[in-house]
Amino acid sequence: MSASPSPTAAVRALQAALAAEHAAVYGYGVAGAHLAGARQRAAARDWTAHQAARDTLAAMITALGAQPVEAATAYRLPFPVRNGAAAVMLAALLEDRVAAAYLGLVALGDARLRAFGARAVRAAALRAVGWRDRSLAFPGLELPAPEPAASAPGSASPSPGGTAGG
Amino acid sequence: MAQEATRRVVLAGAVSLPLVATGCSKGIGGLGTPPSPLPDVTILRDAIAGETLMISRYGAVMTAVPDQAGSLRPLLDQHREHLARLRARLVEPDAGRAPEHSPSASASSPEAQVPGTPAAARRYLRHAEQAAAQTLLTALTAAPPSLAQLLASIAASEASHALLLSPHRRGG
Repeated sequence: MSASPSPTAAVRALQAALAAEHAAVYGYGVAGAHLAGARQRAAARDWTAHQAARDTLAAMITALGAQPVEAATAYRLPFPVRNGAAAVMLAALLEDRVAAAYLGLVALGDARLRAFGARAVRAAALRAVGWRDRSLAFPGLELPAPEPAASAPGSASPSPGGTAGG
Repeated sequence: MAQEATRRVVLAGAVSLPLVATGCSKGIGGLGTPPSPLPDVTILRDAIAGETLMISRYGAVMTAVPDQAGSLRPLLDQHREHLARLRARLVEPDAGRAPEHSPSASASSPEAQVPGTPAAARRYLRHAEQAAAQTLLTALTAAPPSLAQLLASIAASEASHALLLSPHRRGG
């Protein structure tokens, strides 16, 4: 029944992580535009980290013979980001979602992918601490609701938005 | 309880986790399988012991250095959440029925000397958190998928604690 499920499952998990990294790269671009000083430098550093992770994942997917998912042309933000406080919350939220995506790799049978995913969950959690200034009990498993803009309960995730011209 | 249920709903709803059938059910050569405890039970017991130990360490430090208690309590509370989540997975008469309030279970008492200064106490806990996270990262490689995910998440939480306990953290 289970002839060769592993490659597909691994690719699927990697693609989910890649999609989360695409969203993070986009989101950090938005966040960084509303930050200054040390916070902006931190956003730039984390943005670079996500770009590197994105490229790593794409290479891993290619190596498995699959086509890496591409970034969406636009992403719907979970709440309006018009100031530094919202930008910080967005960065923390992006890390939460990246952590959740990498947890998918931890469920795989491949020990290397598992360890890779677990390290990535940890890295995302640590970046989130940098933004949120507190820890979560279950990074990736629990997704705290975004705090600002309590008016947007249903859209806690950057999701692919309109395609052409909005 | 309700909180627990909510988290499970969040997990199921918000994260699409590709659970995979790991290839460990291929018991073809099952001639002499020894009647050892299931590996996931062992992993779970070890993780529970580790969390219990962390909780007792925090308790000891908060007693020895009371002015740190306020900043340490959120971290301690998260360890209690870890422990509760792990215990909930262990379907075992004895361990499951263990009284809630047994902070210093026999197998897990903190090291003899708990540092008496705030800086030393935080360093002590930071190192303990780092070690605990590393232990879980090692253990999860042999765990079944969903337990591996829980352990990875807890490891990330404990690494986060270590970061929050680092001396350069305040005012950053």
